Amino acid sequence: MTETGADEPQHTTGADQLFGLGSRFRGFFNDPRWALAIIRATVLEAAHPQIGAALADNSTFVTHPWRRLRNTVTSLQRMSGADEEARRKEAARLNRLHSRISGTDARDRPYDAMDPAVRAWVVATLFESSVAMCRFGGQPLEQDAIEELYGEFRGYLAALDGDARHLPPTVHEFWPYYERVVAEELEHTEAMRIILYRLFDHLPAPPLLHGLPTLWAAGRALVGPVIGAVTVASLPEPFRHRAGLPELPGARTLMQSAYLGAGLARFLPEGWLRTETVLDLLALSPDSDDPRARSLRALRDRMRRAGALVRLITPLPPEPEHGDTGLRRGAEEFFATVLDQTGDGYVDWPDLAAMARELAGRLDLDEPAETRLYDAFADWWRELQTALDTDGDGRVSCREYTEAVPSLAGPALIRVAEVLFDVTDANGDQRIDAAEYRALFRRGFHRDLTGTDDAYPRGAFVRDFLSFMSGRARSTPYDPLLADA
Amino acid sequence: MTLEEVVDGSACGPAREEGRRGVPRHVACVMDGNGRWAARRSLPRTSGHRAAETTVIDVIEAARSAGVEWLSLYAFSTENWQRPGAEIDFLMRLVRRVVRKHAPLLHARGIRCRFLGVTDPRIPPPLARDFADLTTLTAGNRGMTLTVAFDHGGRRDIVAAARSLIRSGVPAEAVDERCFAAHLPFPDTPDVDLVIRTSGEQRISNFMLWQVAYAELIFSPVLWPDFRAPHFLECLHTYQRRERRFGGVRPNENGERRP
Repeated sequence: MTETGADEPQHTTGADQLFGLGSRFRGFFNDPRWALAIIRATVLEAAHPQIGAALADNSTFVTHPWRRLRNTVTSLQRMSGADEEARRKEAARLNRLHSRISGTDARDRPYDAMDPAVRAWVVATLFESSVAMCRFGGQPLEQDAIEELYGEFRGYLAALDGDARHLPPTVHEFWPYYERVVAEELEHTEAMRIILYRLFDHLPAPPLLHGLPTLWAAGRALVGPVIGAVTVASLPEPFRHRAGLPELPGARTLMQSAYLGAGLARFLPEGWLRTETVLDLLALSPDSDDPRARSLRALRDRMRRAGALVRLITPLPPEPEHGDTGLRRGAEEFFATVLDQTGDGYVDWPDLAAMARELAGRLDLDEPAETRLYDAFADWWRELQTALDTDGDGRVSCREYTEAVPSLAGPALIRVAEVLFDVTDANGDQRIDAAEYRALFRRGFHRDLTGTDDAYPRGAFVRDFLSFMSGRARSTPYDPLLADA
Repeated sequence: MTLEEVVDGSACGPAREEGRRGVPRHVACVMDGNGRWAARRSLPRTSGHRAAETTVIDVIEAARSAGVEWLSLYAFSTENWQRPGAEIDFLMRLVRRVVRKHAPLLHARGIRCRFLGVTDPRIPPPLARDFADLTTLTAGNRGMTLTVAFDHGGRRDIVAAARSLIRSGVPAEAVDERCFAAHLPFPDTPDVDLVIRTSGEQRISNFMLWQVAYAELIFSPVLWPDFRAPHFLECLHTYQRRERRFGGVRPNENGERRP
């Protein structure tokens, strides 16, 4: 790799100023074109064999893309914010998270999310896609602006890795590096194929639009393929060639129009398009206590009523012989929406690790609490594997799960519930108060009944968690936490 | 609809004259006698259930036009699971057909429907789905509230309320009737003013135990499949002639309204 040695240290310590309020990086953050640029960057990342393998094995982006996007944006904000302490903490968290991701790909080549060369490539794709975004949109950046931006991205890598040795020191040297990786290292990986051709065609509705499945599916059928075509057309020419990606007539014009069109949104009044606001809104569950959810809730209620009426007046099909199929379907649904976080049809350690990751992220856990939580999940995984993996292939299929549902609430799962209680109970007073509850579930206490005390004691917490996790009960707080897209 | 109400209202006389009280706010019916109705005709029990459908619709319509605000029907108790499997299967299919058949009508009549109980896993999921759909469909209606007790047990509801109360951590001294009632399922349901049980049986059979505390009880000798709107209106008249004291000397009025 481009080992450039211990170069100028001012770049690494200079991160604080580089991410100041006026930085270019932050300027892009609310630019709608950045959404397209991020997709493009993600495809380029996924085309790197190591990253592609890590994504395919561990990532939840196919089944829970909105949650993943929101976590990424929050992380980028912390990393680029003015608060140095928050940045250090986030960098440490990201490092811990990535240190848990390693393995081997389908061809037995090892991957490791901590490999510095790999991490440099991630930052490189983000930088290059930002530059390309301006170029496609018809407003190319000036040379010194590019240099400034490059400095900021190197600062980002330095904040993560401690130094930015694996990215060339200057933009001038960056381009040969970038072209070499594109030409020599990128492959047509499975993860890339999924992003380009599956993700947008099957993108689940964000929580806000859950009640409007028809509307969502119609919009997706139209927009999904366009996003795919736009992204393909924006990829570097040599790579498209090598990966055998289709050249659709007019795709390039479409791509440039998309970037141009998205760029026009900058003429909207200040504050209309803030990434955080949009994402917050999308992640909002219509059941939440947020006032913004109200008008949508009204619309959704009307749709639900219409749906109920249609179902009720649809003539009944001939009576099928009913056995225990009802229970089984429930188990299958639970398997798909909650347990199989990566969406590959099996429950495996990465699925449970993804749950632990989501919980740790929500609660903003530090060490050693984070490791405790992961350990509890790891024990649960061993318990599940022992109990359910009847064919001994090391993972649990949907069929193995549905055939053995009742035996799910073993001691290790109870232990998970207890550890989760401990780490949620931030002040250690043995009850979850309103603030702690909100940190975990992102919603207020919603006990339907008029209790006088606004606290959630250990016993009730453990019981509710168990009945959700063993698939026995749907639960208003846990469903958005672990099942929402 | 309003015109009709006025006409029907004057016909059955809910007018609050001196010394007479109005229409009961909450009427609850124990629909008894389907089996005997069938036996008297040497028909299988299932045909008694089938004949009950007409009565149910008739009574709902009579109650609505008489100005009853809450009507509760005891369709299936937790004890009914002990009946033969074939009869239960038949009942489940019948109820599903009835619910689907009358859903648009109930909705058009502005009736808010909901189902009390419905917790047993033996309830076929499609039926539970239809219950949920009908509840959703009619949730916004402001006419009469129809509560169908299905897989219901009064004691079970009280136990569930006690559980929920303990879970909410209310100190023992702070528990009073009002606070306890808030933990019952559908806590907005007002006290039952009138219980009608058909077929001459004189029991309450674990039906909405908490809510019937002060209810007037009327036991009609008519079997449920033969029970019709005129019988129902007759029961309302009987109720109106009775004097309700609630153990004290309060004047005639309906039971307590819940918040």
